[in-house]
Amino acid sequence: MNEHTQDAARSALELRSRELFEGSVEGLDMRVRSRLTQARHAALDAAAVARRRPWFFQMRVWTSAAGVTAAVLLGTALWFGSPLGNHGMTAADQSSLEDLDMVASTDEGSGDAMEMLQNDLDFYDFADKAANSGPAA
Amino acid sequence: MPRFDTLPHAWMVWDVPAPARRGAVLDQTRELDKFLAEIERRAFRMAQVALRDPDDALDVVQDAMLKLARNYSSKPSAEWRPLFYRILENGIRDLQRRRTVRKKFMVWLPGSKEDPDNEAQDPLDCAADGGPDAPELLMQDQAMQKLEGSLRALPGRQREAFMLRNFEGLDVAETAKAMGCSEGSVKTHYSRAVHALREQLGEVW
Repeated sequence: MNEHTQDAARSALELRSRELFEGSVEGLDMRVRSRLTQARHAALDAAAVARRRPWFFQMRVWTSAAGVTAAVLLGTALWFGSPLGNHGMTAADQSSLEDLDMVASTDEGSGDAMEMLQNDLDFYDFADKAANSGPAA
Repeated sequence: MPRFDTLPHAWMVWDVPAPARRGAVLDQTRELDKFLAEIERRAFRMAQVALRDPDDALDVVQDAMLKLARNYSSKPSAEWRPLFYRILENGIRDLQRRRTVRKKFMVWLPGSKEDPDNEAQDPLDCAADGGPDAPELLMQDQAMQKLEGSLRALPGRQREAFMLRNFEGLDVAETAKAMGCSEGSVKTHYSRAVHALREQLGEVW
């Protein structure tokens, strides 16, 4: 078979197959046509929704997610870093806190601590004066 | 120093792209509708040739329509056709892959030897509804079934190239875009497909 005949045969095959295909497309039943129409309308609705939603709304989802994550991380860091969390505290820190607690918890009604401190100051003041004045004779 | 209550508004103004004109949006919707209406039946038939099952074909076409509308409707309409067919072909390939995996899995299960792909198709189901010349339609239907069988026997890429070029009328560049390959590959696939079909269908057909 020469080249020309081959080309002619190829064209005939292409034409015939296309004709058959178009015929089968035209012969589609109503059920399929109806479902295709429904699918098209659904696609148009989806396009309208996609058009109405600007791209930054999608970004906002990420922004919100990043914000929530940052807040969680910050909260976690504060919780683990705070004294209330009772994490990473040494024995010395614990002891100082107990001393402070003892001082702070002194009974304010009696005023013992302040009274004792005042007495001490009065005593030291008297002793100092006595030492400086000495016996005059 | 801007007031706090003005900040979100200012941010939105900065961030929101200029809204499309209502008329332009309507035009685009109409154009998309026209495009989809024009291709939906051929796309369905092409999917059906590849997948056999009409329900699977409908699902794949619907998915392709939705994906195109959601993701590419803002693109120039000249790009829709190759994009749509690329989505469609990817969907067909995914489904075929899933079927292959399912088939391999089902072989190991007892009582599941039946293969839906091998079910004989009733010619009456495929025949067109009624018509003035029933014998002619029947002959056409038989010829189409023969063609479909031959197309299914082709390697996937050859079948894609043949259907996109010959049935859908895409040019080489558009076909290459739709298939995700070079124009040279399209020409090769198409040429091999035509040769193989001619061998299978015979010179007379």
